[in-house]
Amino acid sequence: MRQLAITVNGEVRTADVEDRTLLVEFLREGLGLTGTHVGCDTTQCGACTVIMDGQAVKSCTVLAVMAEGAEVRTIEGLADGDRLHPLQDAFSRHHALQCGFCTPGMIMASLDVIERHGADLDAQTVRHELEGNLCRCTGYHNIVKAVLDAAGRGSPR
Amino acid sequence: MTAQRQAPLPDGWAYDASTVDAGVLNAELFSEIGKPLRRREDHRLVTGKGRFSDDFSIEGQLFAAMVRSPYAHARIGAIDKAEAEALPGVVAVLTGQDALDDGLTAINHSPVPSTRFDVRLTAPDGSPPFIGPHLLLPVDKARHVGEAVAIVVAESRAAALDAAEMVDVAWEELPHVIDSLDAIKEDAPTLWDEVPGNTFVDCEHGNPEATKAAFEEAATVVRAKLHINRVTAVTMEPRAALADYDAETGRSTLYAGSGGAVRQKRELSAVLGIPQDDLRVLSYDVGGNFGARNRVYVEFGLVLWASRRLQRPVKYTASRSEAFLTDYQGRDLHTEVALALDADGKFLAMTADNVSNVGARCVSLSPLSKGAGLITGSYHIPVAHLRTRAVFTNTMCTQAYRSSGRPEVTYAIERLVDLAAIETGIDPIELRRRNLLAPQDLPYRNAVGSLYDSGEYEANMDRAMALFEWDDVGRRRADAKARGKILGVGLANYVESSIGTPKERAEITVAPDGAVEVVIGTQPSGQGHETSFGQVVADMLQIPAADVTIVLGDTDRVSVGGGSHSGRSMRHAGTVMVMASADLLRVARDLAAERLDLAPDALDYADGTFTARGTNRSVTLADLSSEQNPLSVARTNEMHAPVFPNGTAICEVEIDPVTCQIAITRYASVDDVGRCINPLIVHGQSHGGIAQGVGQAMWEDCAIDPESGQPLAGSLMDYGLPRIDTMPFFDVEISEVLSPTNPLGIKAGGEGGTTPALATVTLAVLDALRPLGVTDIAMPITPQRIWQALDTAAATPKEKAPA
Ligand code: FES
Ligand code: FES
Repeated sequence: MRQLAITVNGEVRTADVEDRTLLVEFLREGLGLTGTHVGCDTTQCGACTVIMDGQAVKSCTVLAVMAEGAEVRTIEGLADGDRLHPLQDAFSRHHALQCGFCTPGMIMASLDVIERHGADLDAQTVRHELEGNLCRCTGYHNIVKAVLDAAGRGSPR
Repeated sequence: MTAQRQAPLPDGWAYDASTVDAGVLNAELFSEIGKPLRRREDHRLVTGKGRFSDDFSIEGQLFAAMVRSPYAHARIGAIDKAEAEALPGVVAVLTGQDALDDGLTAINHSPVPSTRFDVRLTAPDGSPPFIGPHLLLPVDKARHVGEAVAIVVAESRAAALDAAEMVDVAWEELPHVIDSLDAIKEDAPTLWDEVPGNTFVDCEHGNPEATKAAFEEAATVVRAKLHINRVTAVTMEPRAALADYDAETGRSTLYAGSGGAVRQKRELSAVLGIPQDDLRVLSYDVGGNFGARNRVYVEFGLVLWASRRLQRPVKYTASRSEAFLTDYQGRDLHTEVALALDADGKFLAMTADNVSNVGARCVSLSPLSKGAGLITGSYHIPVAHLRTRAVFTNTMCTQAYRSSGRPEVTYAIERLVDLAAIETGIDPIELRRRNLLAPQDLPYRNAVGSLYDSGEYEANMDRAMALFEWDDVGRRRADAKARGKILGVGLANYVESSIGTPKERAEITVAPDGAVEVVIGTQPSGQGHETSFGQVVADMLQIPAADVTIVLGDTDRVSVGGGSHSGRSMRHAGTVMVMASADLLRVARDLAAERLDLAPDALDYADGTFTARGTNRSVTLADLSSEQNPLSVARTNEMHAPVFPNGTAICEVEIDPVTCQIAITRYASVDDVGRCINPLIVHGQSHGGIAQGVGQAMWEDCAIDPESGQPLAGSLMDYGLPRIDTMPFFDVEISEVLSPTNPLGIKAGGEGGTTPALATVTLAVLDALRPLGVTDIAMPITPQRIWQALDTAAATPKEKAPA
């Protein structure tokens, strides 16, 4: 066990970790940030996606110690007070979530996609880029619409 | 029994406004119902503030891990716990014998569907079927790979998992059987001594003599042997449970997402042998259900038991691997079907022999029963003969999975119709037209006794074909060909039954500030009840939807409630909320009359306010409520009549003949859901339902190695799910032919996407590959299966190719 400091949503946060502690465990169990979810044990589902030093990562596949000193952004750090981030708002408006379990990971991954593609984003690119995030409820239709909308690309249908 | 057009409604079937005092609803007064309102639950879910089961933690909690059987069938010998108990951090290792010593009993799943309209299922001798007791931990033998035989509790999750590996069980491996058709053979291994041949349900339905006669006179007979493969729900949230015990009050609290907290409380308190009041179950946000969470899981009972023994909170969260092994699974039906037609292509009769694989014990017969009642699909088939069997095998138990039993039989009838079209040379759409039920045929009693309520089946088909741009298929086919692809289209009509637990209760309270709270016993897992139920109550009370809050999922608040399954929620909850709202307005009217010193009928009601007619004297609902004396009513309703959602779906695929890759390029559907309360939510249900059905047809499969009995799909790396890059956009529309059975005219909207999808995908692939000689293909239709089918067809001389 040792104490680890990681900047999470702009604040330096510390918690005790073992060498084998995963970043997602540090967030959920160490800091009580339960918005980041765990949906699998093989890096397939993307429910655990967070932004680490500007890149979307699956936090179930990053050791907490690897994130020492890094800047991590989670779903809890997205809204501005009561004002939703445009992506969060678009997900709600387009009904891009049902049970909501995949949603935090889906939104964090989409954030990264929009950042990298900006106005060039089209439906096919969204589908290609989000291939590592699974959703069992929505059939993805409304997720693609929401991401395009949040990227300022309007709605394809 | 013979099918009957314009069948009379049985007593108590049609909604009778006078018996429930709610009156006839005037749709013109609806202002919230029918609107695509944005969901109230979204804010917490998009900001990371959802409350899923594993999000709960209690100071001092322990962690549980399971010791699971590595064998499909094995006798449990001595269990050596010593090494595990000696590991640091391990608090307890408990076995099935410990549970028996503590007086724990089997889970009472009550698997036999029990409403008046369910198809009756019995043992071969007509008695109630033996279902195989479901102890939390077995003591005699393990009957499937992954069955828990001991629980380890430790200070950390890691310590519990480490210790579980050290528990030494003296296994005596036994012969096993995986497939239900093998399990019914003479020399098959027996799972339960009580049922030597493994077949614990065997019944016949319909009219065997008339069916036989019709087949003898038929101009054409087509037959098929089909397997609707085993799949699993893969809720994105793995199941989890946290049990807390308060030694002072003797009460336990269980945080566990499910399909209905009331059922969990009832069945788990019985297992533990404690009064129901000593157990509180909380089920807040639930990360998907699709049927898998409707029944009680052994781990929920185990953490409760361990926390009571150890007097500390105990938590268990399944890994995805454990979910693949031991979530209740779905489908797995073998069906042998035949259809007889006359020279004009009119359907004359049908036979079906359905064999359901329930797994190691029976937790639900819903899939077999639901399917049994709908074998004739959307068509008029005068007579039928059906045999239904349910069989034990050394596999995980199956349960109702999204659209329990109906995708199976829809797949069977639509494949038969397709075969009949080929055999008779009649265009498949024309053949369907000749046999679809007409609106004036309904109510319609089908040849196995199910009574369809209402619907416009041919209109659904026409509308779906227009949406799909069916007339343009020829051009698209040529276009695909020019790109080196083979295009195929598949259309399926469906009708399904929604029945579900008959009882539901609503409690409505108006607070002095005007806020309205509704306590109800359904359990959403993404269906948006907090929003859509609010729309119903808002319109009934003529107040804004924003003023209504829905309370769910806490058994200290919700006393009665059937949970969410079988498309029952909006229909049952909507009906009882309508009744309770009418009750509330009656009580309020009397109070208002008293307050204004007038006769109750001298008051007008609108927009939450009673006004003395012709004056400006008024009193609001809020005025009639006080802290000491809140305005409040409770109403319980029991409703047995089924409803029959129906529709048409069409799929287009493009196959690359070189790589055998298959892509869905178009998918359209029209679903008659009865009254639609919130189209945004209902469309979402259609999308998700389609994806789940398409998933089964194209990728999903709980593959099990028959030699070893080992499940081969143990992670998301070997179980294929629909992904965002393998799904198309969908063209879905809603049709609202109201049901006569309930005040709002609701049918159901959660399962219609799934029901026809297995058939549409398969028929589309066969349409594409038929010119190459392929006449049959099994699900899931992977590129490998396509390659094999093409290979076999190429090796088969043309003249010998089966018709
Ligand atoms: S938890 Fe599934 S990818 Fe991280
Ligand atoms: S909304 Fe349920 S998994 Fe995506």
